[in-house]
Amino acid sequence: MKEYDLPVIRFIGLGETGVKLVETLAMIGLNGVESYSLDTDNRSLSRCHQSKTLLLGKSIPCGLGAGGDIAFARAAIESDRDYLAKLVSEVDLVFVIAGMGGGTGTEAASFVARLAKEAGALVVGVAATPFNCEGSRRCNKAAGGIRDLKQSSDVVFHFSNEEVMHMSGGETTLNMALETANRYLCESVLGLCRMLIEPGLLNVSFGDLKSSMKEKNSLGSILCVESDRVDFASDIMEKILAHPSSLNGKAFREATTLLVHFSGNDNLSLAEINKVIESISLCASAVDLIVGATDSSKNSLLQVTLVIVQKSKTISSLMETNESKDFTPNEAHNLSGPENFMPSGDNSYVNLGVKSKSANRGGFAFAPPAPALETISPEMKESLLEAAANQEPNRKKRKGIKQEMLPLEIISKGRFEKSEPTVHKGEDLDQPTYIRRGILLN
Amino acid sequence: MSDSQIIVGLEIGTSKVCAVVGEVSGNQVANIIGLGQSKSRGVRKGEIVDASVVEEDVRNAIVEAEHMADVEIQSVFLGVTGSHMRGFNNTGVHPVVSADREINDADVQDVIKNAKAVNLPSDHSVVHVIRQHFSVDGQDGILNPEGMLGVKMEVDVHVVSGRYNRLQNPIRLVNGLHLQVENIAFNGLASALATLSTEQKELGTLVIDLGAGSTEYTIYSGGVIKHTGVLAVGGDHVSNDLAYGLKVPLGRAEQLKVDNGSAVIDAELNDPIIDLSTDNIIPGKKINLNHLQMIMSMRLREIFELIENDIKQAGYIDYLRAGVVLCGGGARTPYITKLAGEVFKLPAAIGRSSTVSGIKNALDEPEFSTSIGLIKFGAFQTQTIPNQGGFGRALRKQFVSLFGVRK
Ligand SMILES: Nc1nc2c(ncn2[C@@H]2O[C@H](COP(=O)(O)OP(=O)(O)OP(=O)(O)O)[C@@H](O)[C@H]2O)c(=O)[nH]1
Ligand SMILES: Nc1ncnc2c1ncn2[C@@H]1O[C@H](COP(=O)(O)OP(=O)(O)OP(=O)(O)O)[C@@H](O)[C@H]1O
Ligand SMILES: [Mg+2]
Ligand SMILES: [Mg+2]
Repeated sequence: MKEYDLPVIRFIGLGETGVKLVETLAMIGLNGVESYSLDTDNRSLSRCHQSKTLLLGKSIPCGLGAGGDIAFARAAIESDRDYLAKLVSEVDLVFVIAGMGGGTGTEAASFVARLAKEAGALVVGVAATPFNCEGSRRCNKAAGGIRDLKQSSDVVFHFSNEEVMHMSGGETTLNMALETANRYLCESVLGLCRMLIEPGLLNVSFGDLKSSMKEKNSLGSILCVESDRVDFASDIMEKILAHPSSLNGKAFREATTLLVHFSGNDNLSLAEINKVIESISLCASAVDLIVGATDSSKNSLLQVTLVIVQKSKTISSLMETNESKDFTPNEAHNLSGPENFMPSGDNSYVNLGVKSKSANRGGFAFAPPAPALETISPEMKESLLEAAANQEPNRKKRKGIKQEMLPLEIISKGRFEKSEPTVHKGEDLDQPTYIRRGILLN
Repeated sequence: MSDSQIIVGLEIGTSKVCAVVGEVSGNQVANIIGLGQSKSRGVRKGEIVDASVVEEDVRNAIVEAEHMADVEIQSVFLGVTGSHMRGFNNTGVHPVVSADREINDADVQDVIKNAKAVNLPSDHSVVHVIRQHFSVDGQDGILNPEGMLGVKMEVDVHVVSGRYNRLQNPIRLVNGLHLQVENIAFNGLASALATLSTEQKELGTLVIDLGAGSTEYTIYSGGVIKHTGVLAVGGDHVSNDLAYGLKVPLGRAEQLKVDNGSAVIDAELNDPIIDLSTDNIIPGKKINLNHLQMIMSMRLREIFELIENDIKQAGYIDYLRAGVVLCGGGARTPYITKLAGEVFKLPAAIGRSSTVSGIKNALDEPEFSTSIGLIKFGAFQTQTIPNQGGFGRALRKQFVSLFGVRK
């Protein structure tokens, strides 16, 4: 029945968290979206039924996960590069979904995103970050992972587990917090997809989304909330502000672009829409605001999806104009001038690498809105989300709070083992000086 | 036109990876607005031995610095070091050909070009060519010969070079993290830029960066760099010697060094025995402080003596009228200035990066001088571009494109 050329959308879940989320999304099942679950861990893949799975790094061999080992994860991913490249080729929109802080997800996300980008897709990263209590090492690793993912994607939507915990008050359990986080995450991704593929009243197309990510490599958040009331405005606003991704409203203040999308039935009140938009504009002054609405007549609920794209903190935007130029002579003038440090000339040069800036993607044309997505009842969705979040809670719990131990250093002659010996006039300076000088310790 | 500029210095050191974010406006004075650090696990003697862990460590440091400075880092000035690096002086010669014998800008460029044509081993490449002085018809010490009359012009330069492949390793690693390397600089040069005042550069000072894996040294005199060198010996050697001599694990030796270390032997120790019996790693162990001090002082003295020998041989020992400045983590060793004073027979002091302002405690730590110096180096480079006429046009973009044309 497809009259239109449907855009090809793929969800790619990486690492345990990514796999869990993609499997949930696959179970809910969006028309025309293909779901893939990839991990170095057989156990997480064995729980997948709806998504297509691949064990990464079969040739290494592995099957028990990377256990946080970035190098191992890298090797596993590299070994499946060809498969991954195929996976993201001839796709219009790729969602790269992962939990950051472990090995597989952290390392694979940016790798896959880069391949997808090279293949010409628009790449949306979806990343969950750890609880602070998982330790600073893991959190740092996660921050690094996000950074990398951001560099290789068009936009990365960030979901902070820590924030979920704060929002739900100190009382919650780890399991509950993860469940809540996963629900927010899946709802957001679904909301975004809905916005792109449902028939529009006020149409927000993929082009709008794309142009709202003016600069590539931006960071943002998505949130999706629902209301069953006819006068939904206050209900929706309350839910938006209580959503962990709104960071208590901070997310709005730091936004450059806001995309607000209403998905409801045919008696969507314009007055209520107005109220919502007004309240949002109040939180976020001077931003681009794009409003869209679609009619999903089968759904009695009103769903609002909000896409927030943050201000880029790139260096250039920070530069302040300071008209009063100061030419006070300083040491650069009376000393070796600045240019003196510059090597120049012919061949004997250090190569500083290419400027990795503009990996220009070809134009992305989006077809007219697609036919309605396959629907499932809200109850069914609810139970699916729950079931997914609940899978093997115990294992997760153990893993989540495991302390990482620093390896004990043992007596070492090996400190200099891997490096070139330091030899000066025939003397091995790696040997203790006192020994070379023949001193006895008594 | 924008007058404020963010510059990031990155040192991938043997003990720590350190990224410092500086704000540079108008002149070269940098305000430090961010600092990110990570324990370094894959570097030995200043060079990368395990790329994958270094990648992780660099990323952590960058993320932390970004967070603190609230900027997104896209490019860095990268410090380089290693036993493969060499510093030497070279002279360029150029006949003045214009009819009136007046030296013009083209002559200056030509003589510098001549000086840059150094004979390097085929696997080496140039890191810096630093101008010292011009001379015109045998008259020495000219800073700017333009407009002078003469027949033959010469220029002295200091060249720092290194093995191409080994310089490329950290660059490639950093590029792999989607960071552009604006330029590289020898760590020893960066540390000198951070710690020396104009006066010290003028009078003559030796700067020694005592790192964990390597020790770099740089001599400034008459306002220009006279000499540079690097020894692949550092604090790791001190710790390794202690581990060996005191028969304790390396980690414990490192801690003993920091807690009880000394660069000189204190003959009047009241109680030379440290009891480690409460230590659950090596229960019942006793350490003799005399031994500890002996082992440490011999190693540190040797490092200084090797440097002194090299400087003597190069003929610069008498140029050091402002003495010795020590930086790097090793400069924290108690009595290190005393030891340096004894070996060089010159006043010695700990270097402070006092010529930049910003986050106070970052500047007070001697181990950050390299990274801070890299910001100064970056500021020099982004400020002025030769033959472009003035400061205003010297924005980084142009600088980068200038560097982009090489092949
Ligand atoms: N939102 C959410 N985050 C999770 C969930 N499970 C784990 N995380 C977070 O995701 C991070 C990464 O964990 P995993 O996805 O298990 O890691 P991995 O990619 O499989 O890594 P390796 O097992 O080391 O190969 C953890 O530090 C958690 O903070 C989840 O169900 N939901
Ligand atoms: N209080 C102290 N006493 C003695 N040594 C110290 C002290 N504090 C730090 N160090 C030593 O300083 C060294 C670290 O210095 P620094 O941070 O300058 O090195 P790095 O830049 O990581 O290494 P490199 O430049 O050689 O690659 C370590 O060897 C450490 O043991
Ligand atoms: Mg796993
Ligand atoms: Mg150093």
